[in-house]
Amino acid sequence: MEYILYGILKAAELIATLDTEVFSIALFSLQISATATVCASLAGIPLGFLIETQDFWGRRGTITLFNTLMALPTVVVGLLVYSFTSRQGPLGPLQLLFTPKAMVLGQFILATPIIVALTISATHAVDPRVKLTAMTLGAGRVYTALTILAEARFALMAAVIAGFGRVIAEVGCAIMVGGNIRGYTRTMTTAIALETAKGEFGFSLALGFILLAVAFLVNIFFHYLQSRRD
Amino acid sequence: MDTPQLEIQALTKIYDGKQVLDIPHLVINKGTIYGVIGPNGAGKTTLLSILAILVPPTSGNILFDGVDVTELDQHALRRQITLILQNPLLFTTTVEKNIAYGLRVRGIGKQERTARVKECLRFVGLEGFEKRKTIGLSGGELQRVAIARALALNPTVLLLDEPTANVDRASVDLVEQILRDLNNSLGITIIIASHDMNQVYRLSDEVVHLIDGRLTRAPAANLLRGRVVSQNGDLFLFDTGKLRVAVLPVKPEATHVSIPPEDIIVSHNPIATSARNSFAGKISQVSDEGESVRLVVDVGEKLQVTITKRSFAEMELNVASPVYVTFKSSSVEVF
Repeated sequence: MEYILYGILKAAELIATLDTEVFSIALFSLQISATATVCASLAGIPLGFLIETQDFWGRRGTITLFNTLMALPTVVVGLLVYSFTSRQGPLGPLQLLFTPKAMVLGQFILATPIIVALTISATHAVDPRVKLTAMTLGAGRVYTALTILAEARFALMAAVIAGFGRVIAEVGCAIMVGGNIRGYTRTMTTAIALETAKGEFGFSLALGFILLAVAFLVNIFFHYLQSRRD
Repeated sequence: MDTPQLEIQALTKIYDGKQVLDIPHLVINKGTIYGVIGPNGAGKTTLLSILAILVPPTSGNILFDGVDVTELDQHALRRQITLILQNPLLFTTTVEKNIAYGLRVRGIGKQERTARVKECLRFVGLEGFEKRKTIGLSGGELQRVAIARALALNPTVLLLDEPTANVDRASVDLVEQILRDLNNSLGITIIIASHDMNQVYRLSDEVVHLIDGRLTRAPAANLLRGRVVSQNGDLFLFDTGKLRVAVLPVKPEATHVSIPPEDIIVSHNPIATSARNSFAGKISQVSDEGESVRLVVDVGEKLQVTITKRSFAEMELNVASPVYVTFKSSSVEVF
């Protein structure tokens, strides 16, 4: 029990003194996950919208596929990105492996299916009269699509947050394609895994608290936005 | 002089193999209020959707100011012919953004948008509502914002589908007054589709009746649905399920009959006349109509009958009085 108590006290000290290493790791994690989430949103929201609103052969199968991909194991994605970015892989010449770019790529692959699948259900839930009303007011196809997305904005925000939550907390892919290099590709989750193995509970707990605080703040922000609607 | 604004030529609409509209010809003149009356499923909403260029007809043409609408820019046209849906939807934002929506679509600047929103809100009696969220508006306020939103586009034709279906009684009068003002002061042509006959007659300069997708001469009362069941020489029988009415030769596909209340004779006993239709029933309702009295006689179907006040007094009629109603087959309109 004593070492846990010691760990908590150490974590409090590291946070209170704004320990450079702890906070630089936290900041780096946020940067990687935020970049991956923004890219996944830019790709996933239009894709999800098109899948929901267009009629094409294999549409139901596509929706099922994206629902399945939501549970994609992080190590499988890590393996996929590793094999593509390793020296012998098709993206080998770009020398992406063990760089932040490879980590963003891996997290992008993890977040996109979540954002696509949740965008499909968010668009599906929009009142069909929204489209009709936009058309009666002279809106063209693009403006009508933007109006439907605007009406679904709270559900879309939930989709983006779910995507962010998935990648900020994942460890398998980040450790495989980032390599957990100190000061370069070390994130909160990879650092927690490493430091715990080394017995550095205080450092791990400090990062764990920050990770929880991030999740908490994101949720508070989301609830604030939702409350503004009502 | 009447100037045609919209003209329907040989219009049909077929959904899933079923013909829901068949209008050979209809002209809507500029600056008038048209009422389209019909029961649910008569094709009113489909007609308005076609006129609003939201749904293409299966065949036929719509002319706007003499030009076939297919030759015009559809988006621009939708701003001129604006439809307010039954149970209109307001976007989940502020009243101001809703009203300015069509102006933003057109790329109109913020200053002009703000001024136009203010003007439109004043017209519908909702000054100061700009920053209000649409969630929480009453049915009447919502309908007025929907009218203001359509009005912001400066439409020349306004189409309204059941404009007061979700509006409280006090707001109905207000909405009707707004529609009259739009027509009187801005010269907007208005087409109202409703099943509320009183409202349509109250508001409209001209009324058309739509039954099963077809226009009919105005059958104001005693509209009964059914089918032709038998033919005996030159006499046909029309069965409503509760009543069999003798009618003059008709097309076998007829689905409705209408009997003018003034053409029905009421008596205490069966009378010997050439009239082919005579039914026993009971009076279920009596209402004073000024010079005359309107009775509702239940003969299986409830028939409205108009008689003079003097006849009413002399016959000593009242609710529950047993009576006979008699009318000629030639009085029955079949369509």
